[in-house]
Amino acid sequence: MSATPAVSVNHLTKVFKGHLGKGAFRAVHDVSFTVEAGEVYGLIGPNGSGKSTTMKAILGLLNPTEGDTRIFGIPSMEVASRRSVGFLPENPYFYKHLNGRETLHFYGKLCGMSGDQLKSRAEEMLALTGLEDAATRRVGGYSKGMLQRLGLAQALIHEPQLLVLDEPTAGVDPSGSRIIRDLIIEFRSRGITVLVTSHLLEQMQEVCDRVGIMAHGRMVREGRLDELIAVENQTELVFENASPDLLAKIDALVKAEGGGTRLLRSGHPRTTLERLFIEATNEPKKP
Amino acid sequence: MSQASSSSAPASVAPVRFSPRRVWTLAYATMTQLMRMKILPFLLLFCALVAAMGFGFSVINPEQQLSQFKTMSLGVLQVFSLVFGIVATALLLPKDLEDRTLYTILSKPVPRFDYLLGKLIGVLMLIASGLIIIDAVLSLILWLQQSMLFNAAVSQLHTENQDTPEAVAQIREIVARQGLTWNLHWAVWAIFLKASLVTTVALLLSCIASSTLFTIVITFCITIIGHGHAMIREFIFQPNLGSTATRIGTFILAAICPDLAQFDVVDSVANGEIVPWAAVYEMTGIAALYMTVYLFVTHLVFVEKEL
Repeated sequence: MSATPAVSVNHLTKVFKGHLGKGAFRAVHDVSFTVEAGEVYGLIGPNGSGKSTTMKAILGLLNPTEGDTRIFGIPSMEVASRRSVGFLPENPYFYKHLNGRETLHFYGKLCGMSGDQLKSRAEEMLALTGLEDAATRRVGGYSKGMLQRLGLAQALIHEPQLLVLDEPTAGVDPSGSRIIRDLIIEFRSRGITVLVTSHLLEQMQEVCDRVGIMAHGRMVREGRLDELIAVENQTELVFENASPDLLAKIDALVKAEGGGTRLLRSGHPRTTLERLFIEATNEPKKP
Repeated sequence: MSQASSSSAPASVAPVRFSPRRVWTLAYATMTQLMRMKILPFLLLFCALVAAMGFGFSVINPEQQLSQFKTMSLGVLQVFSLVFGIVATALLLPKDLEDRTLYTILSKPVPRFDYLLGKLIGVLMLIASGLIIIDAVLSLILWLQQSMLFNAAVSQLHTENQDTPEAVAQIREIVARQGLTWNLHWAVWAIFLKASLVTTVALLLSCIASSTLFTIVITFCITIIGHGHAMIREFIFQPNLGSTATRIGTFILAAICPDLAQFDVVDSVANGEIVPWAAVYEMTGIAALYMTVYLFVTHLVFVEKEL
């Protein structure tokens, strides 16, 4: 892994100024985390927890009130940092008058691509996202799932090292959702760093290496997924071919029993990411 | 798909520079986006209106006929270009923001100035295309009309046995002066400059305001005030008029609003007066100066705008 993290967020605070008598609103409060190159990082939290604000700050769309965000060591507010980022916003829309291929050409040209390089890359992305047959159809006629896949294709058009995905499966049917999940796993296998937010915790558990859970604008849990969902005060014994009698005498007999019974693993049983999420986000709000 | 290297070095820190190619990509997309807003049928309707105006009026005399036609068609053209420039520009940024297209564009290595300039040029290209088409239709109708009016006038003289060479030459001179000349194109150019300037003001306001309606209403107000800039200046330079606060307010208004009366050459052209080259250069220079200043301020606002 590179020494430079793909994303670093240092003490990020974002306060939106109030207008017309409304008070200021603190959307993100002193959030810090890093996303290492090559990993899939899930940023999860309930609506209004500050995930989108954090993502926008990472992408340089918002100016932090305090702290800073960097992409591969380059401050996010510098346009140059976006050379290595592909972004898929939640429920993306594209220019309806363009077809799928033209949309990819448009975004490729914005990234300075042209000629055969752009054409072949666009075809590659259409193939990767399964949109080859819809390439000449106007985007206005695309389904939700197709729009999300086109969004992924445009995010990848300039071969970024980092993908930022905001609710990539929002409103997509289960099969479309599974396709996107498989694509994220595919990106990881190709060494692309992925920062993703989603409400589908089961899917996040399947694809993420590490997660950060945000609530009330703060980071309430952060770390490796397998460590976070481990229950520290319990011990788990996993047997193969264990009979009910054996289970009843488990403490005394496990070593003496021998034969076909084997202690396969000893460790901490896992909860689910969903249960952890509910626990973490229901903790009392810090002052 | 090419393999991204997880161990690769950080991306190059070379700054992303202004790129005319990128601006053109954005401008072209903006123009096609606006064309999808059913602008062509509107343009055809306008051309039909111009044609109807050209041939629909009863003949008074050749001079008045041609003058009236130019006044009305150029007047309608001016209103069309201003309304289109203001409304289209006021809709663009909020629509991109609402559709999140702005996020996908600005999360690419695209400087915000390139985006703004691309949007502005896209609108101006469409206004220019519309004006070129209408100018061509206008020229054709004016040429046909002047030929018909000349023939009709000469026939009338012939019927009255007054078709002396001097009388025919006089009719020819009147028709030529009021007919198709370069002046017509300068008038269309002045209309384009005014529309460009007002479009730039609308772009600035759409960066400041979050409401499309606010942008449209305020830009229309500035357009109206801009036509009375001479009166505002007169008020400021009159020493004994108004309180200090009123005078300061008026001065600020004069500084904010462009002097749009500088581009009012339609009446002169309709009256058959010649628009000198110097006036064309002056109008172009003033418009360029105003637009540069407005675009610079727009950039300062937009670069700090939180999306």
